[in-house]
Amino acid sequence: MKRFLELAVPIFSWLCGIILLGAVLSVVGYLFVHGWKSLSLSLIFGTTPPLDALLMKRHVFNGLFPAVIGTFSLVVLAVCLAVPVGMASGIYLAEYAGAGTKAILNLFFDIMAGLPSIVIGLFGFSAAVFLNRHFSGNIHPCLLISSIALAFLVLPYIIRTTQMALEGLPLSARMTGLSLGASRLQNIVHVLLPQSLAGVVSGVILAIGRCAEDTAVIMLTGVVASTGIPRSLLSHYEALPFYIYYISSQYTDSEELATGYGAAIILLFICLILFLLAFVIKKRVSYLALYRA
Amino acid sequence: MEKTIKIRTENLAFSYNGRTILRNTSIAFAENEISAIVGPSGSGKSTFLMTLNRLWETIPHCTLQGVVEMQCNGRFHDIYQKHYPVTQLRRQVGMVFQIPNPLPMSIYKNVAFPLQLKGGVTKETVRGRVMECLQKVRLWDEVHDRLDSPALDLSGGQQQRLCIARALILQPKVLLLDEPTSALDHTTAKAIEQLLLELKQSCTILLVSHYLDQVTRIADTIIELQNGSLIRAGADHD
Repeated sequence: MKRFLELAVPIFSWLCGIILLGAVLSVVGYLFVHGWKSLSLSLIFGTTPPLDALLMKRHVFNGLFPAVIGTFSLVVLAVCLAVPVGMASGIYLAEYAGAGTKAILNLFFDIMAGLPSIVIGLFGFSAAVFLNRHFSGNIHPCLLISSIALAFLVLPYIIRTTQMALEGLPLSARMTGLSLGASRLQNIVHVLLPQSLAGVVSGVILAIGRCAEDTAVIMLTGVVASTGIPRSLLSHYEALPFYIYYISSQYTDSEELATGYGAAIILLFICLILFLLAFVIKKRVSYLALYRA
Repeated sequence: MEKTIKIRTENLAFSYNGRTILRNTSIAFAENEISAIVGPSGSGKSTFLMTLNRLWETIPHCTLQGVVEMQCNGRFHDIYQKHYPVTQLRRQVGMVFQIPNPLPMSIYKNVAFPLQLKGGVTKETVRGRVMECLQKVRLWDEVHDRLDSPALDLSGGQQQRLCIARALILQPKVLLLDEPTSALDHTTAKAIEQLLLELKQSCTILLVSHYLDQVTRIADTIIELQNGSLIRAGADHD
């Protein structure tokens, strides 16, 4: 029996890995099979010359360019809002919080992680209405409100991964810096955080993915089907996930549906670029923190 | 001639998770001497060292009772006083652990790190001190052409010498060494012993060691612990 288990467990684990990899490749492959035909410059820029669109000289009315810019702005803004707050909270939980406070906050963040995105969208919408009534008539569902709502959505991931990465470091790592005369803060900044960057970045990547794919939040907080490139943080915007949702529920012919698949491929590429950016930043920060003389 | 006391403990007791590690230990360590702490595994030797720079405070569920005093400019200061600057204490009391613990940084940055944390020094000064410390531990010749390489790529013995160099860069008044030569070959261990003999001119050294021949060779005082209690302290090498 023991010998059977010794053999069966690795085979089962290997199979699970293969199945998972197969599932991911199937999804991506399916997207490419259905969407590659629609992939062209005209899908993004429509009839507008690409250079004119990129230099903002002319509007793009019949392409995905505004949605690409909207998605990129939305994800970058949401992640920029969530990362400092999430990392600071994770550091507090791992390094400063007492046992009682930690237990209460952990429960709170677990509940927050389980909130359906539509509830967060509704919260963002209510916040926009409240601000509109009581502060300024210029505030309405917009890019900024969507970004804040998305930041709320992904905060628990960043908090948890930062906390776990710091708590996962061995006691000896914690002691080394302190024994060399580092203050508690110096130890966190110069010794512990650089060593736990890989964990923190995995949280940021999760956050990027979640921000890029979520439709429920943005539907209630400022995305519209056709409004062009967002001119400010307080304006409406277009986004690829909403475009994909819109096309898949309203398409009239297969050609139109194919543009939805094309939009999904572009969304994957945007995520890939942002993931790579996160890795490059991690590498650079690691180098500066650990190797620069 | 009467010896000047650098550190003294009075009725020091330490427990971890309710288990007593040290009991009523009262010892005095003379300035500019090498004091060897010996005893079987689990007798509280490493823990004793950690009570002298308050490093145990990073470990949860520990309690300490008693007094630890350090002499500075002729006056004794209780290092467990409420507002005693613990960071300053650890800069004056260097420590080398039994298992080499270089940070995942370059060789240069590892050694320079404590000085950079302290601040107020020029890059040239740091560079000079790094070189000086690496030479002291007989590591300079082996690494001078790859100072930017990761310290974790060094061998165990080289890592330990790097850790000793790192502890020396702040020119500590007290040096706590927890079996520093256990990862070193015979020749390097001898070189480190020679270094310790040189260092004691400017530094008080507390050395935990299992090697009785080493203790006999370099220690001025021997302290023996058993089950957390002091059973012998003196210059008697027998």
